Amino acid sequence: MSEVLSVANSWPLWIIAIVVMSLVYFQSIKFMLLGSKAGESVGMTKKDVRAAIRTGAYSSLGPSFAIVVVAISLISILGNPVTLVRIGIIGSAPVEAVGATVGAEAAGSQLGGADYTSIAFTAAVWVMCLGGIGWLLVTAIFTKSLGKIQAKATNTQVKLERFKMISTGAMIGVFGYLGAKQMVVGITESLVLVVAAIVMPILIVVANKYKLGWLKEWSLGIVCLVGIIFGYYMS
Amino acid sequence: MNNFMAKIDAGTQTNSHASQGGFSDFHNKVHFWGRITMFGVVIMTLLLPTYLSYVLGLHPGWSVILNGFIAYGAVVIPLWIVEPISYYPVLGVSGTYLAFLNGNIGNMCIPSAAMAQEVVGSEPGTKKGEVTATLAITGAALVNTTVLIVVILGGSAILGILPQDIVDSLAFVLPAIYGGVIAQIAIEKPSWGVIGIIFGVTMNLAPVPEALETFLAIVCTVGAIMLLNNMKSKKNNE
Repeated sequence: MSEVLSVANSWPLWIIAIVVMSLVYFQSIKFMLLGSKAGESVGMTKKDVRAAIRTGAYSSLGPSFAIVVVAISLISILGNPVTLVRIGIIGSAPVEAVGATVGAEAAGSQLGGADYTSIAFTAAVWVMCLGGIGWLLVTAIFTKSLGKIQAKATNTQVKLERFKMISTGAMIGVFGYLGAKQMVVGITESLVLVVAAIVMPILIVVANKYKLGWLKEWSLGIVCLVGIIFGYYMS
Repeated sequence: MNNFMAKIDAGTQTNSHASQGGFSDFHNKVHFWGRITMFGVVIMTLLLPTYLSYVLGLHPGWSVILNGFIAYGAVVIPLWIVEPISYYPVLGVSGTYLAFLNGNIGNMCIPSAAMAQEVVGSEPGTKKGEVTATLAITGAALVNTTVLIVVILGGSAILGILPQDIVDSLAFVLPAIYGGVIAQIAIEKPSWGVIGIIFGVTMNLAPVPEALETFLAIVCTVGAIMLLNNMKSKKNNE
C-alpha cells in the first residue's frame, strides 16, 4: 500500500495533474472573457454579466463542498494527483470508484486491499482515464454539429419559441428526474427536498419585492445551507 | 455611470442587426478554444497511465486493461453519447464544452445556470440565456476547482477535524438543490413542474436501463409539455 502511494504521489504525476487543472482554469477564464464580450450583443449589460458570474460562483459553494467530501475518500487509495485529475474533470467520485475497482480487480487485486500493488493501481488508472475520455471526445467532436442543428431549429421566430420550450422542458425534466431520485433515497432526503422547495420561492419573492439582487444571487447557497441544517437535525 | 449605461443600452439597440455576427463570432471562438482544451485534457489523461505503464514499467497488460474497461464501459459508454445530447438544449454550445470538461453537470453546472437566468431575467434556449448560463458555469467552475485544489493540497486535515455527522449532512445539498430549483421553475409554470416530477418519479421506479433514465425523463417531459401547449393554443383558437 505504501509502495502504491509513493508511486501515486510522485512528482511526474503531480506535473500532469497541474497541467490538467491549468487547462480547466484556462477554459473557464477564456470562456468568461468570450461570454462577457458576447454579452453586449445579446442584450446584457455589464451589470448582468457580473451578476451571472457571481450567481454561478455562489451557487457552486454548496455542491463544491459536497463533492470534495466524497472525493477525499479516494485520496488514500489513488493518491492526491490522480484524485485531483479524476474529480477535477468530468466523472463523479462514485462512478470513478467503480472504474478504479473494476480496474484493480481485472489486475487480480482488491482496490486498497492487502494485495493492492502498483500494477493494480496502474490498471485502475487506465480504466478510469479511458472511461473519462469518452465524454471529452464526444463533446469535442460533436458539439459543433449540435450547434448547427440548433441554428436550423431556431431560424424563425416560431421555431425559436418551440426551441425555448424544448430547453425549458429539458431543464424541468432533468431536475424532476434528479429530484425524484433523491426522494427514493429516504424520508429525510424527501423532507429536505420539500423544505427547499418551500424556502426557494420565498427567497425569490422577497428578493423581487424588495429589489434585493444579492439575495437572489445567494438564494441557492442559502437553500443548500438550510438543507444541510434541516437534514442534520432530522437524521 | 448613467452616461455609461446609456451608451451600453444604445449600443445593444443599434447592434441588434449586427448581433447575429457578434454571436456567431462568439460561437466560432468557443468551438476553437473548447476543442483545444478538451483535446488537451484527453492527451494529458492518456499520458497519466502511459507514464505509469511504460516509464515506470508497471504495465498490467492490455488484456487486463481491456477486461476492466469492458466492465466499466458498460456503465459509462451509454452516458458518453446520451448525456451530451440530453443536456445540450439546456447548456447550448458554450455551456456544453464547459460542463463536460468540469463535470458535476446536474448537481452544479445546470443549477448555477438556472439561478443566473433567474437573476438576469433570460430564458433557456435563447442567445441571452446561453451567454448567461456560460458565465454562471465559468464562475461555478472556478470556485469548484479552487475548493478542490485547496482541499486536496492539505485541507483534508481540516475535514478530518469536522465531526462525522456534519460531514454526512453535506449529502443533503443534493435534495436541497433539486427541490429549490424545481420550485423556482414551477412557480412560473406550475403544470410543467408537475409534468417533470411525474416523469422523474416514473423513470426512477420503472424498469428502465439506468443510463437512459435521464434521457427518457427529458424526452417525455418535453413531449408532454409540447402536447399540452398545442392543446392550449388550439383551445385559444376556437
